[in-house]
Amino acid sequence: MAGNDGYYEALWPRSPRQARVKPLAKRLDTLAGKTVAQVWDHVFRGDEVFEFLEAGLKARFPGVRFVSWREFGNTHGSEEREVVAALPRRFRESGVDAVISGMGC
Amino acid sequence: MGLAAASSIGLGMPNLPVARVIGHPGVQSKEMLERNVLEVTLEGVIDNLLKAPKAAGTGDEPGARDVVVKGGFQEINDYFYDHGLSDGLPIVPPTREKVEQFLRHTDRDPGESLGALLPDSRAATIWSIAVNGVMAGCRPEYMPVLVALIEAMADPAYGVEHSGNTPGGETLIIVNGPVIQQLGFNYTQGVMRDGFRPNTSIGRFWRLYLRNVAGFLPHRNDKATFGNTWRVVVAENEDALKKIGWEPNSADFGFAPGSSTVTIARYTGGNHISSVSGATPEAMMPYLYDAVIRQYSWQLMFTVGQGMGTLRPLMLLSPIIAETIAGWGWSRADLKRQLFEHARIPAHEFERILRDWTQKPTWNLAEEARAGRIPKVFHDSDDPNRKVPLVWKPEDYMLAVTGDLTRNSVYVFAHNGVLGYPVAKRIHLPKR
Repeated sequence: MAGNDGYYEALWPRSPRQARVKPLAKRLDTLAGKTVAQVWDHVFRGDEVFEFLEAGLKARFPGVRFVSWREFGNTHGSEEREVVAALPRRFRESGVDAVISGMGC
Repeated sequence: MGLAAASSIGLGMPNLPVARVIGHPGVQSKEMLERNVLEVTLEGVIDNLLKAPKAAGTGDEPGARDVVVKGGFQEINDYFYDHGLSDGLPIVPPTREKVEQFLRHTDRDPGESLGALLPDSRAATIWSIAVNGVMAGCRPEYMPVLVALIEAMADPAYGVEHSGNTPGGETLIIVNGPVIQQLGFNYTQGVMRDGFRPNTSIGRFWRLYLRNVAGFLPHRNDKATFGNTWRVVVAENEDALKKIGWEPNSADFGFAPGSSTVTIARYTGGNHISSVSGATPEAMMPYLYDAVIRQYSWQLMFTVGQGMGTLRPLMLLSPIIAETIAGWGWSRADLKRQLFEHARIPAHEFERILRDWTQKPTWNLAEEARAGRIPKVFHDSDDPNRKVPLVWKPEDYMLAVTGDLTRNSVYVFAHNGVLGYPVAKRIHLPKR
């Protein structure tokens, strides 16, 4: 290139991702008779959203049971690390088959 | 939706299914929200629980030390901008020669990682610190400060993963110790104004690193409603502190005098308080109490609520104000205690703010205190007009003396609580 714009070989400013792709849990055949956990970060009216979802799912899937977000603690806040770390154990204890986690925005 | 999809990549679950809620729940009637959930969200939830998601793919990326573009200054800058690798201002091309100059100012191995930074989950390597330091316009001798900053960014207590949250708070960096003089930081008039290379370029470095390594880019993982640009680094006036016998900010984090340190915390805003006048505490302090109170409304959720005792208000004091307060025989701890005891609001107002403006299910200070979740000072009687503090304890207040030597001002920052909690790190100079 003409002029005095120089010549540079510029390095990549990022660094490799550390997270490896993890397999997602096997999906269920039906929600009928299954236990679904609600996990909430206490924002964006998730308490009401879960209430509506629970009603909608109960109407569609007989015997579906819910473990309320009140059982697990807040997944967004000063206790979030402890709360999230305890979730696998809490799910096992509650016999949870599936989880709905909210709310993002 | 966009945030969930973008964040799931860094968590190793790029195919994590997400169900959509139409619009924003915050502005919908109960009936509208119910209709939206039942007509749209419900189907998404059912699909996500019963249908197998598509297989996850992995995108190819350059290697950690790869050259990604060759050419003139403009070509380099166009490439970096077009690939989301710069902040829109021209960058200094990060060549191997420049990066190696920076690496000579640290004893750390270039491949050493200080942690994996969410949401992108990239390694915070010494190498990448040097690359971004070059880009920001830093000088090579700033490298120990940059390393200390990324150590702080990677500290779980700070919570870097929250840096793209709705309020768009921006980090303020405070520098203490001999490094202030050694590197020529501005710590007097216009301390938060650009124009002083260490203060300005290190502030820019912070945001570049958040973009390039942590992964916070607007329209992707950075969901700031309005946002701010990066803040110029603040250095404390330790000459003024010695004169009045006060310890520096770094002492509050356990560092001995003479230590060079960086302190970081995120703030959603702040305000300059002009013409703070009065020769006595009775004359001056009500203005300061009022200034602190006026910076805090919804952020009280970090005192009682989402954050629980994580609100850490910061006050910058011009040297004249600090000298006047010290002249009353007050230490820094005394000033913090006075702020704790007098910057208070009625309990009913505190509860109203939490209830009306943070959309939390229930907030009742009496109930929280009885359950032992908050200090008793928030419920020492049932009088709704009793005054309650803004923070859990006097030590939650942070103070720094800086700014114009001849003006009587303070600046109060609105802290972002657990979503950018204060963290301080020592700056290690290379032994060789």
